[in-house]
Amino acid sequence: MKLAILYGTETGNAEMLAEDLTAELEGANEVDCHNLADFAPADFAPDTFYLLICSTYGDGELPASAQPFAEVMEAEKPDLSAIHFAIFGMGDSEYDETFNHGPKRLAELMAAHGANQIGDRIAHDASGADMAEDLAFPWAEAVIEMAQDTVGEAA
Amino acid sequence: MSGQVAIVGAGPSGCYLAQALLKAQPDLIVDLIDRLPVPYGLVRYGVAADHQGTKGVTRQFARLFERQGARFFGNVAVGEAITLDALRAAYDVVVLAAGLSVDRPLGIPGSDLPGVIGAGRLTRSLYEHPDADALPDLGPRPLIIGNGNVAIDLLRLLAKTPEELEGSDLGAGPTKWLERQAIEEITITGRSPAAQAKFDAVMIKELAKLAGVTIRVIGAGASDDPAEQKKIDALLALDGIATGPRRVTFRFGLTPLGVEGADRAEAVHFTSPAGEETLPCSSVLTAIGFDPAADLPRDALVSLAADAEAGVLAPGLYAAGWFRRGPRGTIPDNRADAQALAGAILTDLAPDPSRQGAAVLAALPDVTDYTGWTRIDSAETATARPGRCRSKIATRDAMLSIARKDHGDAP
Ligand SMILES: Cc1cc2nc3c(=O)[nH]c(=O)nc-3n(C[C@H](O)[C@H](O)[C@H](O)COP(=O)(O)OP(=O)(O)OC[C@H]3O[C@@H](n4cnc5c(N)ncnc54)[C@H](O)[C@@H]3O)c2cc1C
Ligand SMILES: Cc1cc2nc3c(=O)[nH]c(=O)nc-3n(C[C@H](O)[C@H](O)[C@H](O)COP(=O)(O)O)c2cc1C
Repeated sequence: MKLAILYGTETGNAEMLAEDLTAELEGANEVDCHNLADFAPADFAPDTFYLLICSTYGDGELPASAQPFAEVMEAEKPDLSAIHFAIFGMGDSEYDETFNHGPKRLAELMAAHGANQIGDRIAHDASGADMAEDLAFPWAEAVIEMAQDTVGEAA
Repeated sequence: MSGQVAIVGAGPSGCYLAQALLKAQPDLIVDLIDRLPVPYGLVRYGVAADHQGTKGVTRQFARLFERQGARFFGNVAVGEAITLDALRAAYDVVVLAAGLSVDRPLGIPGSDLPGVIGAGRLTRSLYEHPDADALPDLGPRPLIIGNGNVAIDLLRLLAKTPEELEGSDLGAGPTKWLERQAIEEITITGRSPAAQAKFDAVMIKELAKLAGVTIRVIGAGASDDPAEQKKIDALLALDGIATGPRRVTFRFGLTPLGVEGADRAEAVHFTSPAGEETLPCSSVLTAIGFDPAADLPRDALVSLAADAEAGVLAPGLYAAGWFRRGPRGTIPDNRADAQALAGAILTDLAPDPSRQGAAVLAALPDVTDYTGWTRIDSAETATARPGRCRSKIATRDAMLSIARKDHGDAP
């Protein structure tokens, strides 16, 4: 099973986390890391498990680097029913009404095109006490474990 | 040798630029020079004390120094301690990312009366900037002129109860000062109609959580434009909120004509489409934008610029962030800008190995480095009082002494 980390960011926090996670996983896995801005939905591959990391901007919207991706998804409506992903969200509970709505939207967008989510959506809080990597590393380990038997099987 | 870059200003623009340069070319020498002994510019001294999440970007900036090889030279005012020309001679590239720190003057009769206070000046004092003036008395009825995010930040901070400041980094002195003001009423006025106000709707929505206020929104109007109407809706949702005694009033379409008062501001005289009007107040807080400081000749540089829009001022001299664009745009805008500018700089870069680089700074007194900042940072977080996440070191002397501590102990 290959891994691909895809991140959507506005101020760079998700990018930094994506790079840290790539470094963390690289030893034991084959892993690629892309900004969602540089990733085409046509490139989703069934033998790859996608780890999405996405922040929230404006009033609960997708961050700038995820917006072109979302637009292409809406326009091309790819069939992602053979694709598996997990998602880690970043937000700030100061914005309580729209806390972590960016990753929520991204997960919904993936699901709307048939993609299969593995594990729960985790939400990092910029106003909270946890460092993003302290939540994200165990999350990645857990979802990779869960994905072992599923990803690629259907392909 | 791969080239030496000096970035003047270690605020978000300078830091994002260093990040983009070093990502593209890891062996580049990138030196961030700041007039303050500490880095991060307005992330530390402008972003509100109760918006700690927004300050989280400093974790990325710390990486620059800890892993990407950028160096910090603090307590060096370019234009004072060292001339811009000397810096340009020493480095292949100099980037001015010095921000804009001077409050734009109101420029109406009476605006130099005591009690008329710029938002930059006030926030620097509130957030314990080492060069700030003492906190001024606002009295019980401050009136805010301006309708940008900075104006809303000020309104929110002044309107909060002590409990609502839990978790912030508002200092002990400013916290006592705020209580002492015993603010009864805050009026906020904008020159434009609400539809054209510059603040973001989320900033307005946040005010709905205030725990001790009674809010009135007068004359918010309506708009056909959905983005404008979103702002208006956020405002209308505030109207009638009554969680406590502190009165907050929003007014729009008011152009100030003069500040009135015998020996301090006591009222502002406005004109509006509905006629003239005078609003009494105990102080006037202006949040109407920022101008360049006098230490760097920004206007001359920009007027002679090869391509000011792209940030190219002259061969080897560039501008980034607020210094380039003017006082508009948030932290993410600076990131996008910095990434574009990094590309242009690397395309133009023609390293000259005979340039002396940071050696030009070696003779300056009391220059701080990144290790010095980590000492200050640790001291500030270690001494945080209950209900606060940090206790800022407020004077330059104290910063310098902590930054220097155990210098010389190292092998
Ligand atoms: C009160 C206030 C609140 C804000 N709140 C937010 C917010 O919540 N969220 C958001 O996204 N944006 C916010 N902004 C906007 C944000 O702060 C700016 O977009 C950003 O700081 C601009 O970055 P900069 O690096 O260009 O300038 P600055 O952050 O001002 O950094 C400039 C740096 O240059 C240094 N410097 C200046 N002159 C010299 C010199 N001669 N020699 C050496 N160094 C020098 C300064 O000390 C400073 O460290 C706020 C702005 C203000 C004023
Ligand atoms: C202007 C602004 C608006 C934001 N809006 C939201 C929001 O609606 N909901 C949320 O959970 N977080 C919000 N955030 C917080 C960011 O998602 C959080 O800081 C995150 O760590 C940013 O990651 P990034 O740097 O990868 O974009 C906002 C932050 C800013 C500065």
